[in-house]
Amino acid sequence: YSNLLQDFSSMLDDADDHDVLIQVGENQDIEEFRAHSNILRARSKYFKAVLSNVSNDLFNGKIKIKKSNIIPSVFKIILKYAYIGEVNLSEQPVKNVLELLIASDELHLEELFEYAQDFLIENRTSWVQHNLIHVFRRVSSLSNCKKLQNHCI
Amino acid sequence: MSSRKQPKGKIRPPKKPNSADAQFNDNWDRLAQAIREIHKKNASILSFEELYRNAYNMVLHKNGDKLYNGVREVITQHLEEVAVSQVVPAFPLSGASSSQTNPNGAGGANFLKVLKTVWEDHTTCMLMIRDILMYMDRVYAKTANVPLVYDLGLDLFRDTIVRSQNYPIQNHLLEVLLQQIKLERENEIIDRTNVKASIDMLLELTDASTKDTVYATDFENKFLETSSEYYRVEGQMLVGEYDAPEYMKKVDKRLNEEEQRVRHYLSQTTEPKIRNIVEEELISKHLKTVIEMENSGLIPMLRNEKMDDLGRMYKLFGRVVKGHDEMKSAISDYIRELGKAINETVTSNTTAEGGNAASGDKQTGATVAVRWVQEVLDLKDKFDKVQNLALSNDKAFQTSFNEAFEYFINKNSKSPEFISLFIDDNLKKGLKGKTEEEVDSVLDKTITLFRFIGEKDVFERYYKQHLAKRLLLGRSVSDDAERGMIGKLKVECGYQFTTKLEGMFNDMRISSDTMTDFKEYLDKSVLEKPKLDLSVTVLTSTFWPMNLSASPRCNLPPELTKACGTFQNFYLGRHSGRRLTWQSNMGTADIRGSFKARKHELNVSTYQMVILLMFNDKQDGESLSYEQIKGESDIPEADLKRNLQSLACAKYKILVKEPKGKEINPGDQFNFNNDFTAPLQRIKIQTVASKVESEGERKETREKVEEARKHQTEAAIVRIMKDRKTMEHNLLIAEVVKQLQSRFMPNPALIKKRIEALIEREYLERATGDRRVYNYLA
Repeated sequence: YSNLLQDFSSMLDDADDHDVLIQVGENQDIEEFRAHSNILRARSKYFKAVLSNVSNDLFNGKIKIKKSNIIPSVFKIILKYAYIGEVNLSEQPVKNVLELLIASDELHLEELFEYAQDFLIENRTSWVQHNLIHVFRRVSSLSNCKKLQNHCI
Repeated sequence: MSSRKQPKGKIRPPKKPNSADAQFNDNWDRLAQAIREIHKKNASILSFEELYRNAYNMVLHKNGDKLYNGVREVITQHLEEVAVSQVVPAFPLSGASSSQTNPNGAGGANFLKVLKTVWEDHTTCMLMIRDILMYMDRVYAKTANVPLVYDLGLDLFRDTIVRSQNYPIQNHLLEVLLQQIKLERENEIIDRTNVKASIDMLLELTDASTKDTVYATDFENKFLETSSEYYRVEGQMLVGEYDAPEYMKKVDKRLNEEEQRVRHYLSQTTEPKIRNIVEEELISKHLKTVIEMENSGLIPMLRNEKMDDLGRMYKLFGRVVKGHDEMKSAISDYIRELGKAINETVTSNTTAEGGNAASGDKQTGATVAVRWVQEVLDLKDKFDKVQNLALSNDKAFQTSFNEAFEYFINKNSKSPEFISLFIDDNLKKGLKGKTEEEVDSVLDKTITLFRFIGEKDVFERYYKQHLAKRLLLGRSVSDDAERGMIGKLKVECGYQFTTKLEGMFNDMRISSDTMTDFKEYLDKSVLEKPKLDLSVTVLTSTFWPMNLSASPRCNLPPELTKACGTFQNFYLGRHSGRRLTWQSNMGTADIRGSFKARKHELNVSTYQMVILLMFNDKQDGESLSYEQIKGESDIPEADLKRNLQSLACAKYKILVKEPKGKEINPGDQFNFNNDFTAPLQRIKIQTVASKVESEGERKETREKVEEARKHQTEAAIVRIMKDRKTMEHNLLIAEVVKQLQSRFMPNPALIKKRIEALIEREYLERATGDRRVYNYLA
């Protein structure tokens, strides 16, 4: 079924029928993503809720959403995951993976969250060890992140 | 601005109370404000993402409980306001239940409408709030084990609006709902959507302690109570005002309405409950009243064959426990009553007839029997039709009807004889002009009556007698019909029941062959040929109903005696070791009589021939006394009287009796009636034979039946004991009854007597240890 993934992927990259604009990041690190509301609704409870409650955020006939507390490079992974259900974390800077973990918790992307958590514990063990305090501080408030929390302790 | 944006590597205590509080307050203020805006329907000015992130941050910073409680507070406050500003002002005037001041429930309807709006607003807002607080639901509500925010909203609505402690909203709501339903029951048009909205609302709310819906805890019981009361009153009213068919139509309609009501705006779980109430109040409580309604109840329906009404009653009454039982017993009683009436006309007829039996009205006996059977058949037809068209061929009803028929048929002790006579009548002449199918259907119907007879052995005895007469007197119209009937009896009772009947048919066939041979024998014989044509039917004594030991005596004229002798020689020559006994009471003769006017050929019975031939030797005007005839002919008294009656008192008066009268008495004088005239040359003299047995004959038949029963009972006991060797008294009785009940119902006293008789004759013995146990002695 690789064709299916490819087709969905190109839908994301070369979208000309998108109906959602998502402005991600803050300060200098801002990027605008294009997406399809039906895919977002289908893939994420968070986006379903957002899209159900944004009747007036229309911009040129498109829904405009701001998501300032997520950095663009991480959101890109999320969006790709939403479209084709695949991520490649080994290519990503490890701090992005940590941010991805936090963002996917906020956006109710349980599968992605579990994957990122396991990836950090199993594939980035030494980095986590070297940055134990930072990691723990970042995830200590995530009640779903027990695995990594325990790993740090 | 987010606490997450701390410079890396810098370690700080995770919480600074002041800044965290400030953070919380800031976030919470925005959210509370947002929820208020949502309640004001201003949601469009809000940024969903920002609110979501506020809630997210609050939960992230362990302020989930504060957030949750805050939300509860804001929503409660809002609902309190709604209660005061919207719901309370919509209360119907002067109490919802007062339909006098509020005749068409408009106030109530308006109240429901307001509630509908309030409810819809609330749920819409709660959906938005739920979306914003999605992270709280997932992370906080789950771990804190509190209801999700939407469910919290439902609970708050329940406690603040529906079950408000401050305002009598609940009372008004329930009363308005019940009032609306009452109005609809009284044929007012109500706005069902408003009612349905409130009902749906109650269905969606959950009672905290029972975990059941608020509909079930608050509404349903009240609804059922008021419905009970309503239908209790209505039931009493309807029973007083309407006749049974109308009443049932009303009930039918009510049942339909309630079913529709449930389907349109109540919960399906209520359906069986309200159905039970209507059934209880409108059907169960008035079962007897409706069944017994004068001029319109069950019996009048049956009398007038109101199949639709009967069918409706069957369907309606079937809904309640006792319904069909009541119907069944009422119908059965009715059948018994009708049956009793039929039986009574018969007894009154036969007793009346008994008084003038000597009148020679020989038809009446059979007519009564035929009419009795016909009336019973008509009754059976009627109830078969009812069963078929109105009672869905219900087996239970059929059984109870059958019992009723069985009851009254066996109440008439003559029913076995009557049924046999009815068949006799149909096989003799009734069949003329009927097609084979019609014959078959008449006989089939008769068989259904035969089934009801308890004393089948008595029937068999009569059937044999009637069949014998039909065969010997050549009165049977169709051999096929006769065999068809025997076939049917065989199916009912098995081959044992019919072997003798079939044997009778065989005798007839063999006799006809024998007569052919006899003629040949005479032709070839050198002996002097008899001066008369003799036709003999040889009957096997065990097949036929004649009593050999009491074989009637009769002095036959010499010519006849001689002819009989010739046949006897011929027959015994072929079958040695057999014994022939002449049944002179069964024969007929053709004789020629010369009267003044002309000669007539007379077809008479053998006895009549014997009597008439005596007058051959007498001079004109010379009379014979009853005693002379009796002495000379030696004919049994009852037969003699009957035959003299036929000759002297019936349609053709060949003899003249002195003194005149319908009865034959000792001392009567008889003269040959020379002046006799008749239009036909050939005359058949019917024997005055009361077809229904006289009391004496009946007693005799009874005795014969009792005697046969003794034998059958003994045979059954021996059969059973031979098989079991040893058996306890009660078990033996039960087994004997079981074996014999297809023929008759043996009473235990009879069985006990037979057991004792068998012990005396040393077929059985009592067991040594236990006198209630019998052993078989081989």
